[in-house]
Order: sequence, then C-alpha cells, then structure tokens
Amino acid sequence: MRRGDPSAGEWLRRQARPLRAPLARSGLLTALQALALVAQAWLLSAILTAALFAHAPLARLWPQWLALLVLAPLRLLLGVGARRTAFRAAQRLGASLRARVLRGAQALGPYGLRAQASGDLITRLVDGIDAVLAYFARYLPQAASAALIPPLLAMFVFPADWLSGLILLLTAPLIPLFMMLVGKAAAQASERRYGQLRRLGAAFIEALGGLVTLRQIGAAGDFAERLDAEGEAYRVLTMQVLRVAFLSALVLEFFATVSIAVVAVLIGFRLLWGELTLRAGLFVLLLAPEFYLPLRALGGLRHTRMDALAAAQELQGLDAVAPEAAAAPRAVHAPHEAAPQIRFERVGYEHGGRAAALSECSFAVPARAVTALVGASGAGKSTLLSVLLGFAAPYTGHVWIDGLELSELDVAQWRALVAWVPQQAHVFEGSVRDNLLLAAPGADAGALRRAAERSGLAAVLERLPHGWQTPLGERGLGLSGGELQRLALARALLREQARVWLLDEPTAHLDSAGAQAVGAVIRAAAETRTVVLVAHRLSAVRAADRVVVLGGGRVIEQGPPLELARARGVYAELLQAEQS
Amino acid sequence: MRPALAPVLSRLWALMRPYRPWMAGGAALALLAALAAIGLMAVSGWFIAVMALAGASGAAINYFTPAAAIRAFAILRSGARYGERVVTHEATLRGLAGLRAWLFRRLIPLAPARLSALRSGELFARLRADIDALEHFYLAVWVPASVALLSVATALVLTAFTLPAAVLPLLLGTLLAAVVLPLWIERRAARDSRQTVLDAAALRGLLLDALRGHSELLAWGGVPAHNSRVESLAARLDIHRTRLDQLQAVGGGLAGLSAQLSLLAVLVAGLAAVHSGALTPPELVMLALLTLALFEAIAPLAEALAQWRATTLAGERVFDLADTPPVFIEPALGTPLPPRCDIEFENAHLRYAPHLPWALAGVDLVLAAGARVAVVGASGAGKSSLLAALLKFYPLQQGRVLFGGESVAGLPGDPLRRRIAVIAQQTTLFDLSLRDNLLLAAPEASAGQIERAVSLAQLDAFVASLPQGYDTVLGEGGARVSGGEARRIVIARALLQDAPVLVLDEPTEGLDARTARDLYTALDAAGRGRTLLLITHRLSGLERLVDEVVVMDAGRIRARAPVGEYLAGERGG
Repeated sequence: MRRGDPSAGEWLRRQARPLRAPLARSGLLTALQALALVAQAWLLSAILTAALFAHAPLARLWPQWLALLVLAPLRLLLGVGARRTAFRAAQRLGASLRARVLRGAQALGPYGLRAQASGDLITRLVDGIDAVLAYFARYLPQAASAALIPPLLAMFVFPADWLSGLILLLTAPLIPLFMMLVGKAAAQASERRYGQLRRLGAAFIEALGGLVTLRQIGAAGDFAERLDAEGEAYRVLTMQVLRVAFLSALVLEFFATVSIAVVAVLIGFRLLWGELTLRAGLFVLLLAPEFYLPLRALGGLRHTRMDALAAAQELQGLDAVAPEAAAAPRAVHAPHEAAPQIRFERVGYEHGGRAAALSECSFAVPARAVTALVGASGAGKSTLLSVLLGFAAPYTGHVWIDGLELSELDVAQWRALVAWVPQQAHVFEGSVRDNLLLAAPGADAGALRRAAERSGLAAVLERLPHGWQTPLGERGLGLSGGELQRLALARALLREQARVWLLDEPTAHLDSAGAQAVGAVIRAAAETRTVVLVAHRLSAVRAADRVVVLGGGRVIEQGPPLELARARGVYAELLQAEQS
Repeated sequence: MRPALAPVLSRLWALMRPYRPWMAGGAALALLAALAAIGLMAVSGWFIAVMALAGASGAAINYFTPAAAIRAFAILRSGARYGERVVTHEATLRGLAGLRAWLFRRLIPLAPARLSALRSGELFARLRADIDALEHFYLAVWVPASVALLSVATALVLTAFTLPAAVLPLLLGTLLAAVVLPLWIERRAARDSRQTVLDAAALRGLLLDALRGHSELLAWGGVPAHNSRVESLAARLDIHRTRLDQLQAVGGGLAGLSAQLSLLAVLVAGLAAVHSGALTPPELVMLALLTLALFEAIAPLAEALAQWRATTLAGERVFDLADTPPVFIEPALGTPLPPRCDIEFENAHLRYAPHLPWALAGVDLVLAAGARVAVVGASGAGKSSLLAALLKFYPLQQGRVLFGGESVAGLPGDPLRRRIAVIAQQTTLFDLSLRDNLLLAAPEASAGQIERAVSLAQLDAFVASLPQGYDTVLGEGGARVSGGEARRIVIARALLQDAPVLVLDEPTEGLDARTARDLYTALDAAGRGRTLLLITHRLSGLERLVDEVVVMDAGRIRARAPVGEYLAGERGG
C-alpha cells in the first residue's frame, strides 16, 4: 500500500459522516459553555475593577458574585454534556465499524485467513479500531471546538479591544498552517510506526505460542533477543514520529504563548497611555489563553489523527471486502435431505501462487458408502474436502450434488447437512460441552452423552476434573492429539441430521484399538450417509467402498480397494510400502 | 492471592532503575513548563494592573523588566513543554521495552508446565496491553502529581508572603482538586476501570477464536452465534468505557469548579486586604490569575485517576505471571553436564495435576548410549510423558530420571535439552524464512550442514519448489506450508541440532506410507551413532529404525523385547 494514501483519509471522512449531527449538538453545548466563560471573564474583570479602582465595597457587588457562583456549575454541566454527546455517538459508530471489519476479515474465507498472521489481524481489529475510535471520540469533537470557540471569543474581544482582537485573529490561522506543514512529515513516520507495532504484536503472540518449541530447541534466549531488537526498532521509530509531532505542538504552543505575552504587554502600554480601561484589558487578558486553548488541545491530539489514518489504511482493506454473497451470484437451490451422490467433473482449484492445488479431478462419490481419498501429502486431498465445504471457491468444472451444482446450492443449508472432522480441530474457549454444542446448539444431554460414548470421548471426560464443564484452553491444551480427534468426531456425531461426513484423517493420532473403534463408527455412519474419508494410511482405507488415489492435484486411480490392490498401480505400491 | 498495591508500585520502581534519570528529567521539565505558565499569567496580571494604575496617576514606571519577564516566561514555557514531551516519552518507551523484555525472560522457564493453563490470546494481552498500560503510572499520575505538588507548594509560599489570609482557602481548594477529587473519582471508577481491562482481554480471546477457528465456525454454521458473542462483549466493553469517559468529564468539570470557587475565596480575602491597605491592587490581580493558572496544572489529575484501577490490575497481572515459580530451580551457572548420555528412568512417577491419573506410574527403563528403542502403546499410555520428564519440562512426583548417571533435576536445563533433539507431536514453525526456522536450533550451522539436514528430511524437492528457496517466509505457525511439509521441516531442524540423543514423537504422523518409509530410512542413517528413542503407536516399519521395543500401558512398562521378536509376537497374536 502506498504511503500517504489519500484514500485512507477519504475513507476515514466517510466513516465519520454519521457523526455530523451529534457533533453539531455537542458543538452547540461547547459554544454555550464558551459564552458562559465570556460572562465569567466579564464579571470577574468588573468585580476587580470596581473593587480596586472605584473602591466599591464587596457587599455592593453581590449581583456579580451571585452570577459568578451560578455560572460555575453551569459551565460544568455544559462541558459534561458536550463531551458525553460526542463520546456516545463515536462509541456507537466504532461498534458498527468493528462488526463490519470483523465480517470483512471473515469474508477473506478460510484460505485467505490462513495466509494472514492472526496476531496481526487481531492487532488490526482491536488496536486499529481503538485508534479510529479515539479519532472519532477525541479528535473530531476537539476539532469542532477549535473551529468554534476562537471566532466566538474573538467576537467579544474585538469590541473590548480591537488591537488585541486583531493579534488573536492574525496569529490563529498561522497555527493550523504550521500544523499542516509539520504534520505531512509526521504522517509518514506514523504509518511506519503503525506497521512496526503490528509486526511487534505478531512476533509476541508467535513467540508465546511457540515457547515450548523454543525451549525444546534451546532457542528461547535467542528469540528473546530478536524481540528486544524489534522493540528497540519500535522505540526508535516511535520517537522519530513523536519528535516531529511534538514539533508541531511546539510551534503551536510557541505562537499561542507568545501571542498571549504580546497581548498582555500591549494592553499594559495602552493602559499606561490611558487608551484602554483596566476592565477591558483584564477581560481580554482573561480570554486570551482561552482563545488558544482549543487549538493547543487539538495540537496535542495530532497523533490521534495520524494513528487513525495509519489504521484506516489497514482497515479499509478489510472493510472493502464484500460479504460472502458477492463472491458468486448463486441461484439458490435447497439441497435434498437424503444422503446425496456427489460427482466431481473436471474440478480444478488454485490458491495463492503455488502450483495448482487441483486440476481436472473427475470421480464419483456414491451415497451410503465410504469413499477414501489417498495420496502423498500435498496431493490435494484436503483441498477436495474444502471444495465440498464451500471454502475453496470459485473452482472450475462442476461438483454435482444429486445433480445440482454445488455453487448454486444455498451454502448454509448445504453446510447444515455436512459434518466435518478436520485434521486438527480448533478448540474454542469454553467448556467441553460448549465445544461440542458448536455442531448442534440445541442438542440435549442425552444426545451429548450418546455422541461422547460412540466417539470415545466419554473415556476422556471421566478423566477431566469437571467432566463436561471442564474449560478448554487454546488449541486444546490439556488434551492430547488423540483426545482432540475424539472431540472432533463427537462433534460430527452430535450433528445427527448430517447426511454427508467429511473426515480428514480421523484416526491419525489413535492407536490401533482406537482406530478400529472409529472405523466401526464410520461404517455405521455410512449406512445412511455419504462419507468422504481422507487418509494417509491405507489401513484406514481397507474398509472403504471406493478409493480415489490422488497425486499432484489429479486423480491417478480409482476403484474398489480390492481391485486396486490387484491392479499393480500406485495404490498397490503404496500398500506394499506400508505392509513391508 | 492478589498482591497488595504497594508492592506493585515499589517493584515497578525497582525495575525502572535504569530509566529513572529519564523519568526524573521528564518530570523536572514538566514542572518547569507548569511554573512558567503560572508565572506568565501572574506577571501579566500584575503588569497590566500596574500599568493601568500608572496610566491613571501619571506616575513613572519601569516597564522593561516585567515585559521582558513575560516574554521570557512565554519562551520558557514553550521550550520546556517540548522538552517534557520528548523526554517523558523517551522514558516511557525505554521503560516499557525493558519491562517487556524482563517479563518475556521470566516466562521462558515457565513453559510448558506453568503456562499450559493460559491461553496464548490471554498471554498476549498480558504481555503487551498490560505492560503498555503501566505507562499510565508515570505519564498520567507520577508526573502530574509531582508537578501539582510542587506548583501548589510554590504558589502557597508566594501567597503566604503577599496575602496570608488566602493561604487557607487556596490550600483547601487545591486539596479538593488534587487529592479529594482524584480519590473520589478513583473509587467511583474502580469497577468500570477494572472491567475494561478484563473485557478487552476477553475480547481479544474471542477474536482469536473467531479467526483461528473460522473454518470450523463456518462449517458448523456457528459464525453468526460467535459474532454475536463478540458483539455483546464489545458492547459491554463500550458501556464501561462510556461510563468511565463520563466520570472523567465530571472529574474535569469539578476540577474547574473548584478552581472557580478558590478564585472567589482568594478575591474575597484579597479585596478585604486591599481595602485595609495590606495588599496592593496589582498584587491582587496577580494572585487571581495565579490561582487560575495553578489549577490548570492540577486539573489533569482527576481525569487520570479514573484509570487507576485498570492500571493497578495490569500491574498485578504482570507480577502475578512473573512470580509464578518455575517447576525446576536451575542449578548454578556453569554446572557441567556429564560426558555420557545414557538415560535411565528409576521408579518414575509423574502426573500433571493432582486430580489426574498417573501419566507415569513407576517407570523403570534403561537406555544405554547408542541404544535404539521404540516405545509403543495406546494413546494416553504415558509415552510422551517419558519425553516431558526427560526434557525437564515436568517434575517427577517420585523417582528419578538420570542422564549420564546424574539426575536431570540437578542438571542445567538448556544444555541438557540441546543434547536431546526432539521431533515432537506439536511443534511450532515461526513466521521467519525457512533458513531462519532451521537455524533456530543451531545458529552456527553452515549452508552445507543445512542442506544435508534438508536432504535427510526429504525436503529437497520442496525447497526447490519454493519461489525464494531458503528465504521463503513460512507464515505464522508455518501457515504457508502443508502439514507434511511442516513435519519434515521440523525433522530437518532436529537433525541440524546434531545432538547425541534423538527423540522421535510420532514422526510420521501426517505422512503417507511411502514418505514415511523413506523418512524411516533417512532417520536410520541420520540416527547412526546416536541414542534413538522412537515414540509411536504404529508398528509398521519399526524394524527399520530400532533394535528393541518397549510396550507401555497405563503409565507402566509392560514388556521389553527385541524388535523382531516383538513384531513376530504381534503378527502371530
């Protein structure tokens, strides 16, 4: 992505559009608060002048005192109201943006997501949104104040003392001008910092996830040093940005402060020459700092805008990803509710640069039978399952489900008929029970128990400290590979309405007794379902009705296992390799 | 147990030792800027009042000194503000980087035994967000509090000399704005403040699930439900944040209110003094503007204290994690490893938690140097636990593991593990180039050694297919390579480690039969002259690699036999 991409600013402005009305309301309250401030300054200068020069006794000034006392809480209320109005609106906007960006990330699909570092995505989703939120909630209202308050105050300064008013008006535009000049350089540096921040986040999450591996190979110390270097690079970059950002604040600060000083000195001399009343002079001197205050505060929030712009550049990519529907306009057919016959016709699929994952694959998967996909790793077995799950899309050729083209089926209805046992199941935060219910949210205790018993998960549950309620950590820490596999199988069993089972190495981590038991479950399932089984091991395949041998994304052989074993082809060779 | 607050602060202070000059410098510049701002307003007020009086009476006056003072204060304030910003941020960034490095190094010895209960999303949140949050102690509390304290002291001294009657009201007003109000805000904000930290961490975890588990959510139709969990948590977080912001707005407003009330009090006292002749009118104008400027320096404290609880929570969590004792105390640096590398388990008992069954229930096993042994058994029989005990990852509850005749508990962990190359069931690849991934295990390996390891692991063809060869970046967790390729990379990495002991934990899982056979052949060659321990539940091809088979069941050794005899028995039975 180009640095200083103008579209990021455009995107950010577009996002902020719904804020106009609440910002206007908040601006109105801010303006009222500024009026109260003017009244206070006026009263204060009146009291001081009257008491000091006219020697008026305090008692005679009671209306002014009283007004001052009333104005103080009024300013408080107006200020709180203005901030609250703006913050709530920004918060709502941020929430809808967060939801949209999450959907955008999900719309990348399983293949797109796998290519992204998830630590990096999380940083974008959490920190990126927070950066944009800070821009909405702090910067924009402050920008509104900066646009409103100085002209408003100038309107009162001018009648009191035109010369001071002129100084204020002349110096005020210089401030945004210098801010812009300095800000250009700072914006670029800020983008770099944001990129570095994301890399840092990804490196940390990765180092933690792989800490055991790092210790095992004795590389933890080296890796810590690598993180140190990343952290140091982050510090250097950040300081670069900040020094420039602070420079713009310095310019602002300098103009504001020196202008106040000039106003004060000039007022002093004109008082000396009798050209001005003390009351007007005091009034202007009290207002002068308030004139610059909103501009100074805006300068202090400068990095908020830069961070938001840098985050916007990352976020708009995700925001632009249209939801799933846009991937392919599909005429919607409802799939049949019986075990379907599946036919692949010259199916091809490519992803991410590397060699074609599938090409010209043609074979049939009969209903109520077990079809095994075998072949070397990288042959395209899992990709075929991804095609059936609707993850690998768009593909070329046709996948016929009982004569209906898969891409024209309603994908949600189709997936509702599918149960999938992935190679390595993801374990979600939550209890064992929660993890199972993912496959069938409405399942009752009886269904859960049956699924657990048939998958062999019941034996695992007995060992867990809180049975069904045992919380599972990320990647199922505390569960072994075999236990994970039983969990994934239990999920599949729990989805009783599934008519298609897609199993990716369901017995990989199981011993022979366990594998046999799972084999029996699969055979039983195949009585009413269409089962596609991916296997490296031919022992898991012997019970299959059909075998499809894949190599380099193509179908090499297919047929009943016994026939293939006799046929002296690739399958027979693999079989021999395994038995020897 | 929750550590008390004082220890959090004092330990943080101790850790910040190298950065204290930066921290103090930043605070000093902040104070300078604040005093210059107060001086600017006070002198300006006094100056115009004097000028007005002189104008009215026609008296002569030296206006050069105050006018120059006003300009000097203006320049000083701008410069000091810039310096303050640069130095405090430098201090913060250095301090945070130091903390991060310190915590990461404290975590290393905790893996895996003490960290397995934590999710990496949670850990990540702790390591990064919690540490980042700690800057608040310095930037938003420590610096403004010291500035407030010293500014107030200066202002009170000035007032005591000019208008003693105003000292008490000013003291009360500043106490209200700088002490009472911040403490009240801290109490009111406590719950929301804490909850923002907890919810933000939970949100990260949920998002991690949403992205890493996306395929499964999609397949099971769970995406909408999960997204609505994310959204309702985010909504809760937003509510807490909104309440906090509101409280901060109220805090800021009340600070302004106390400024205005103090001003009124100063005026009342001052006007009486002017009338009695104890105070000149310009002095009163000076005190009035001084009061207003003083409260500008105090005002940020009230808002800042709304975050106090969140910050202490972050600090508690960081120290909680860092204080987790590792399961082994490392022996003194430089403790030598024995020259031999035979391995012996003596009545080894291991379980991962008191409520879990014994993973090792009295294992006696001797592996002479150069022995080639397979450990077979059902899943959960305790095979991998042998490895965990040998690597000093988990302590034995009873019995010993000996390496070269000495108990591993007394041996230094890292050198020991460098002698034992492991091809584990769950191994992580990093988002580095293929070369760097391999070099992690042996930073000094030459290009030739790398190529030999790669070809032994049957990776030649894979490397040749990569667009950038060894420089291809593998993606997070090796996301850009297939399962089989990842496994072979791990194997190459282990071979590169060139250790006298090679442990293979299900090395052919995820590989097809032919690749597995070729790999056994390669491992056979690579394993020559090394002790080789193969952990597997697959019997095919065992005889290629090992001489003996040990059968495990329920944490115990059931049988040990030469491989031929064992396999014949299995086939016969």
